[in-house]
Amino acid sequence: MYDLPHARSDVINSDCKISARNVQLYYGDNHAIKDVTANIADKTVTAFIGPSGCGKSTFLRCINRMNDTIDNARMEGTILLDGEDIYDSKVDPVQLRARVGMVFQKPNPFPKSIYDNVAYGPKIHGMVRNRSELDELVERALRRGAIWDELKDRLDEPGTGLSGGQQQRLCIARAIATEPEVLLMDEPCSALDPIATAQIEELIDELRQNYSVVIVTHSMQQAARVSQKTAFFHLGNLVEYADTGQIFTNPQDPRTESYITGRIG
Amino acid sequence: MPLSWILLVIFAIAAAGFWFGTSRVLKSVDQNVRALHSLPSYYGGNVSMWVLVPSLGVLAFWSLAQPLFIESRIAYLLEERMSNQGVTLGLMMTEVRRVADGLDSAVTENVMTTEEARSMRVELTDIRNRLAEVGVALGANVTAPIVHAAQQYHQLSATGNMFKSITVIALALAGLGYALLRTTKDFRARNAVERGILAILLFAAMIAIMTTVGILFSLIFNTLEFFKIYSIANFFFGLEWAPSFSGRGGSSSLSVIPLLWGTFYISIIALIVAVPVGIFSAIYLSEYATPKVRAFAKPLLEILAGIPTIVYGLFALLTVGPMLVTVFGDNTVGWMSGGTAVITAGLVMGIMLIPFVSSLSDDIINAVPQSLRDGSYGLGATQSETIRQVVLPAALPGIVGAILLAASRAIGETMIVVLGAGAAARLSLNPFDAMTTVTAKIVSQLTGDSDFASPEALVAFALGTTLFVLTLALNVLALYIVRRYREQYE
Amino acid sequence: MTDANFTDKDIPNPRSLTKTERRTKRRKAAEKRFRAYGLTAILAGLTFLVILVYSIILNGLPAFQRTVVSIEFTLSAEQFKEAEAALLKTRVYSNYFITSFTDTVNGLGLSSEISSDSIDRIVGKIGGTLRKFYRNNQDKVGQPITFDLPASSLVERYFKETFSRESISESNRFIRAEDLDLVDALADAGIIRQEFNWLFITGVDTGVDNPGGAGIGAAVLGSFMMMTVVLILSLPVGVAASIYLEEFAPKNWFTDFIEINISNLAAVPSIVFGILGLAVFIQFMHFPQSAPLVGGMVLTLMTLPTIIISTRASLKAVPPSIRDAALAVGASKMQAVFHHVLPLAMPGILTGTIIGLAQALGETAPLLLIGMVGFVARYPETILGGFEGPNSALPAQIFNWASRSDAVFVEKAWGGIIILLIFLLSMNIVAVLLRRRFERRW
Repeated sequence: MYDLPHARSDVINSDCKISARNVQLYYGDNHAIKDVTANIADKTVTAFIGPSGCGKSTFLRCINRMNDTIDNARMEGTILLDGEDIYDSKVDPVQLRARVGMVFQKPNPFPKSIYDNVAYGPKIHGMVRNRSELDELVERALRRGAIWDELKDRLDEPGTGLSGGQQQRLCIARAIATEPEVLLMDEPCSALDPIATAQIEELIDELRQNYSVVIVTHSMQQAARVSQKTAFFHLGNLVEYADTGQIFTNPQDPRTESYITGRIG
Repeated sequence: MPLSWILLVIFAIAAAGFWFGTSRVLKSVDQNVRALHSLPSYYGGNVSMWVLVPSLGVLAFWSLAQPLFIESRIAYLLEERMSNQGVTLGLMMTEVRRVADGLDSAVTENVMTTEEARSMRVELTDIRNRLAEVGVALGANVTAPIVHAAQQYHQLSATGNMFKSITVIALALAGLGYALLRTTKDFRARNAVERGILAILLFAAMIAIMTTVGILFSLIFNTLEFFKIYSIANFFFGLEWAPSFSGRGGSSSLSVIPLLWGTFYISIIALIVAVPVGIFSAIYLSEYATPKVRAFAKPLLEILAGIPTIVYGLFALLTVGPMLVTVFGDNTVGWMSGGTAVITAGLVMGIMLIPFVSSLSDDIINAVPQSLRDGSYGLGATQSETIRQVVLPAALPGIVGAILLAASRAIGETMIVVLGAGAAARLSLNPFDAMTTVTAKIVSQLTGDSDFASPEALVAFALGTTLFVLTLALNVLALYIVRRYREQYE
Repeated sequence: MTDANFTDKDIPNPRSLTKTERRTKRRKAAEKRFRAYGLTAILAGLTFLVILVYSIILNGLPAFQRTVVSIEFTLSAEQFKEAEAALLKTRVYSNYFITSFTDTVNGLGLSSEISSDSIDRIVGKIGGTLRKFYRNNQDKVGQPITFDLPASSLVERYFKETFSRESISESNRFIRAEDLDLVDALADAGIIRQEFNWLFITGVDTGVDNPGGAGIGAAVLGSFMMMTVVLILSLPVGVAASIYLEEFAPKNWFTDFIEINISNLAAVPSIVFGILGLAVFIQFMHFPQSAPLVGGMVLTLMTLPTIIISTRASLKAVPPSIRDAALAVGASKMQAVFHHVLPLAMPGILTGTIIGLAQALGETAPLLLIGMVGFVARYPETILGGFEGPNSALPAQIFNWASRSDAVFVEKAWGGIIILLIFLLSMNIVAVLLRRRFERRW
């Protein structure tokens, strides 16, 4: 069903993992997201682009209800994950976030050892029965995070002592360890140098095989490199959402065109 | 000339100097202010500064040094004459000072003439009655040599005071003359005044150091005196605290161990109360409470920190103590015989420390970056999991620092233990026993009329040194940890 | 949720969002428990506060009431002469009073027999009070005067219901059951009544024979004098030191040393400052004991670090652009600081100073060591002399009363605490208002 070499054509047909309907979000009086409706496909990398303050990060945070932690945020509309409304009052955000993982703009390893950083998620979710299962899981997550070879001998060292790129890959490995279905990435490379960025982008491409990845990025080149679908946000509106190739070669909306040609930003 | 008069004269000279300086420099440029380097008032200010600073400095120094100088001379005289009478020099000097003060006031109130005050003999005049008229009652032990010494004291200080007045006023005038001579239109008066002000500012900042030096001086000097008459080993390693009340040395056992034990025991109970309550309050206030609850509960808790310790002392003695006795006293389980006990003082001290621990921990928890919390929530952790496994471990060094600061507070706290802990020094494990602490014994050994030269009084300074070293070590360690912690997240 | 999920993603995920797993339920319960611990801690803290305030008010309010025996008494000129000529003068005055008192009571138709001892037990030995009054007001001899005499300690407590009839034992030589009968009768007749105790606010300390007459006025004045000294010394010195450290000090080891010094001094136990005051001011410099001047100096040294720390924070809060603006128009650095930065920082400095003063006002331990717990039963004669003479202070007076055995003194100690807390509260309110009024957001 998922014939990866032909991913570009597949995305259109693939399952809809997340479906947002008429999402509105307010910070106090500030209307940050205006009536956004979009479907996000499974096993696809979707990029959100747009100028600063356009609402792309805010929309991303709606998908795993991270905005719940902000006091004056208020959300309307529905977001469905596999057909279930994630804002239903019966839904526990904790269970939701176990399925929708998140990687942040700034690498934020906990002040614990590398091992404990990765083991944290599986432990709180009770995913393993004993230490050897945990060891296995940590190793697998670190391998998938493409960082195992660098760190396998220093698992006891604090995660805060790593370089920026290593920290961010550690955070990705940490997010993978809880076996999410969707991985949200909020400008994961903005604090990194070009080499680390290239490593992360490579990693994102690999993750596509198993996850639905949503990435917010400031860099249009990055969106073009890693994503199959791209959504352009402007002033809280979802202006255009289409295959990445189409957005960058043949944008339908004049605002999208102005942005990708560098006239607004 | 009394001090207030000298000050008045100096300030009058300074005011005149300000006026002279200003008008002199204005005259030199025919009132054309723009031709001056600085504003005219700076020239005046410079003159006033030259009048005030040297003269006031010398005045302060002289006033402090003169009594010391006179006393050493009088003490020398007395020692020669009365070496065999068995009264300590300290007590005699107190009498001499009293009589001399009496003579001073007798002269100012015109009960005696200056001549009388100097030449009166105990045998000839009823000096006792004359002094009683100005409100100085003399004891029976005021003998002829003491009165004589007092007369000399009186005379020396009269002479000294006269020279002091002359010197200080002369210095003020000299400063006036010197500064006026320098007051020309090209003189950079503002820079001079500003240099002077800067020196004053620096001096003010140095007071902190002088305070520390003063503390060290008073502690170390008297502690050394104490160890001259009492063995160091007995002080640090003895197991008994039993000062003799007769006050004449020898028979007292003055060991710090039972006092330190009481101090630590009470502090530990206080921390057992304050640390969990304080930290959980801080967690609730910083992580869970809505802004409204926080705005209401935080200031209310902090009221506990603003209440003076004497209030807590009374609360321990009169409310908590009796309350504990009704629960644990002879009528029920019989564990507690009196209201003053380790548990009483510890409990109340714990209450006092709650806001201390909670507001420090609150600050520290708030300093943990939000990104760590987001990271944890993003993985699906609940709030309590995030707090316990991410926020608290991250804040741990800071919280340890806060607890150390609270411990230092507990060790140095005085009024609660003076009123709530009891007076008996005891090495016991029973928290319902009355015990006493280092601070409580410092108070009891230094209040009352004991002679400062006796080991029973001097031991208080050794206790003070012990206390100072302990709290200083805790503070330095705590401040170091907290500073390191803050730097980590800045 | 087994490991199989990880490798084989093709199987549709069975995890539903709305179906709460058992483990999640457990985690939710743990969450609730943890939250409850926090709430319990807050409530515990607040409960302690409530108990403390409640016991202060419950125990302290009675101090503001007193029981007086209000009786008219006339001393004739012959009696005055006779009494002054007698050997035991106050005894004679007492006897006159007892006779007059008995007459008055009998005149009211209270039939019960009154012994002179009974009167002594109700109003105490008042001969001294009478003699002092008539010696000072000889023109009042021969005129009827109404005396409001404080009732004795146990009568006072009887009225305040802290002492009951049942607890009188046969051997009690301070009160008998029949005395209380008389007291009840006198109260009905309006001779014994309760009134607001102005004397507690304006009065001075008294000896153990007259606990009801003890007042806190002299101690309040003593504290006020000390606070004046603290304010005069600590505000200029604290501000000067802060300006130096914040604006002028070069960054070197010496400045660091001063800073470390200040932060450590802020945490030195207050009793150590008492030792400093005793050794340096009293032993070494021979300043007078028990004097507000010395107390104020000790408290100044203790408060300075607090004031310096808060002043520096206020100075730091003034943005550098203000300094740059002043320097740019040609002001010297000193002028920029004194003309612009300092006035802007002043509200913050004053707030910090008031809080420092409040801390100093309640401090007791150092005062004990410099002898401010002595028995001071008078107001100072002159204002300036008061600073040098022996004086009491509010917290020291409270401590003093608390250590006496008579329950009326203990009640006065609680009353003193109410007065102390009223002062502290008003100082803090002023500080808060000041902060609100001048709060500035840059």
